Amino acid sequence: MSPLVLTLPVALLAGAWLAAWIDRLAPALWGGRAAGPLAPLRDGAALLARPNATTEAPDRLTRWLAPGTYLVLAAAGLSVVPLAPGVAAVDSPVGIVVWGACEALTVVAVFLHGWSPNSPFPLIGAYRYTAIGLPVMLPSMFVLIAAALPAESLSLIAVVEAQREVWNLVRQPIGLPLFLIVGLTLTLRGPFDFADGADIAGGTSAEESGPGRALWQLARLTMLTAFSAMAATAFLGGPLGPGLPAPMWLALKTVAVMLLTILACHALARTVPSRMLHLLWVAALPLSFLHLALAGWVAL
Amino acid sequence: MSLFVTITLLTALCFAISAAANHAGLATAPQSAPFFGGGTSEPHAWQRYHFRVYTMTLVFIAFEMEMMFMYPWAVVFVEEGLKAMAEMGMFLGILAIGLLYGWREGVFRWQ
Amino acid sequence: MTLLRRLAASAPPPVYPCIGPGMLDPVERLFASGCARRALSPASAGVLLIAGVVPDRAAAAIDRLHDQVPPPRRTVGWSGADEPSNSLHDAWSGVLSGDGAEPDRLPDEPPNEWRGKGDHGHGGEGMMGGTPYGRPMAMTGEDPRDGLQLDRYTMRVGPFAPMLPPGLELEVTLQGDLIAAARVLQPPFPQEDTASAPPACAARMLRLLGLPHHADRLLRGGRVRAGVLCAVPKGLGAAMPGRDARARLRRWLDGEPGAAQAPEFGALITGLEWHEAILMLNSWSPEALRRAAEAA
Repeated sequence: MSPLVLTLPVALLAGAWLAAWIDRLAPALWGGRAAGPLAPLRDGAALLARPNATTEAPDRLTRWLAPGTYLVLAAAGLSVVPLAPGVAAVDSPVGIVVWGACEALTVVAVFLHGWSPNSPFPLIGAYRYTAIGLPVMLPSMFVLIAAALPAESLSLIAVVEAQREVWNLVRQPIGLPLFLIVGLTLTLRGPFDFADGADIAGGTSAEESGPGRALWQLARLTMLTAFSAMAATAFLGGPLGPGLPAPMWLALKTVAVMLLTILACHALARTVPSRMLHLLWVAALPLSFLHLALAGWVAL
Repeated sequence: MSLFVTITLLTALCFAISAAANHAGLATAPQSAPFFGGGTSEPHAWQRYHFRVYTMTLVFIAFEMEMMFMYPWAVVFVEEGLKAMAEMGMFLGILAIGLLYGWREGVFRWQ
Repeated sequence: MTLLRRLAASAPPPVYPCIGPGMLDPVERLFASGCARRALSPASAGVLLIAGVVPDRAAAAIDRLHDQVPPPRRTVGWSGADEPSNSLHDAWSGVLSGDGAEPDRLPDEPPNEWRGKGDHGHGGEGMMGGTPYGRPMAMTGEDPRDGLQLDRYTMRVGPFAPMLPPGLELEVTLQGDLIAAARVLQPPFPQEDTASAPPACAARMLRLLGLPHHADRLLRGGRVRAGVLCAVPKGLGAAMPGRDARARLRRWLDGEPGAAQAPEFGALITGLEWHEAILMLNSWSPEALRRAAEAA
């Protein structure tokens, strides 16, 4: 086991704090007030200082299993991302499959989170998210497979190597927008925030308080970090780049994807679940077929 | 091996953090009542919930199996060339017909 | 005070508002100003804000919501005359230091006695009867769309639901997240004219569409591009062709006031999925909904 695994908690926490800060800078784009870098820490402290809330007859096991699973999926997803060309915390020959597994299990984690309080609004959020989260996994995999085609391997280290001449963003242009859809769904944000939406009074987090709530928000932010690093690796060439050391390039590209995702989250409206389901199957999936066909043709 | 060990350790760590953070004390009955915006309800929220898109999940499984095929396909694609492209095209075409049928039958509506 | 408490005290207090008659607009502006954070449920709040004078019919709801805020908690009353930010901040500091904690207002009894009763001591009888852990299980009924026999869950969404106008009490029967039956129990509270003005109404709908910053911009007097209209489905709550929720939102974004009275909405939301129903209800101003509910 590589000692690079120790960088995972540091990277996830730093990424979570940065993502939370960018979230609080976003209102400035619409004339609101931007908050300083301590604002996420203050809000986190405000959550931690409160006690945990329970409901009448909850499922005590899934109560802690769900946020824990969500957190470990973010960590596992980030562990296969190469920090430098040829170097990753976990050198897996099937990094893309590991990431796919992390994505799929996220749906389970969010569902269990909504199931556990035995309350109607979280339950609606859980089921609704499952109905949208499942179809989103399909374009995600098509897009990642397309990114793997030039590399002739499912290992992320090989995918990075294959981008030495040209980034995947250039030769597979609709890959990153489609992958952003996946990122928004995995992190319960913006147009895909069906699990924790405002129309169900906070959804799966409606009955949560205190350190439990803080952990769920932290898990969402770490998942955003892991997703951004993954997108940077698959489409922006990851740690490749002249001049600066390789991990710094990865960090810069991760932050760029994070900015893009958070911008999309705050700028795009959320439509009703039935319409979103329709759009995913009728628009996003055929688009990802097309993307795969184009990528295959270019790779040959 | 290293992946397995890493993920096992990460899982143990994250579960420990989560169990510690979600440790809830005793709450009285009015404190633990479910939230209805000030209202009430009699039954438990857990129910035989009508998950309306269950027909969509069947189509999803078909595409999921296609994804399973695509994992090894992606690794040998460039070697195999157009033959691999044609095979994948056929597979996707068959599934696309299924997708079209599902669309016409209304499996992607919320019911 | 420890570092954690000091950091927490400098954060905006999480407040759950119970909005009475005439106080909807001041409360929304309070939250848009950023001196407090609106909690969507009492569990995520530390301070309960009671704005205005709440009629007696909603007093029991306030007791229930008060007890759902995890202790230590504080209640702050606001009549609308002065700036509440100081009292909210003081209440939040009190919550964090834990002194003067408010006890429960309701007695500590489960909804049905279940301890020791029933087949295994948890209140259930047979396969599905009784009240396991204090509540019965939801029973089946025919689904309006499918014809399948699946569970019908009835709840009374009370006067202070964050996605409904304050005072509106709805009894909804859900099958999954589809509303199988709905009945208006109590009309919304009367609000002042600014709460039914186009920017405020459009801001409420935008918040439900996941755009809180656009909503705050509307409240500050800015404009929002019409691209958001695509997110509202067509034909929602169409009294006449061309007069659906999307058209109403477009009129609000253009600054024109909407209809003075909504149609009878208990029947209109039946058969809609929850998000659609909430969007449809919020596409009429609180005053229009109040007139419709009182006329029925």
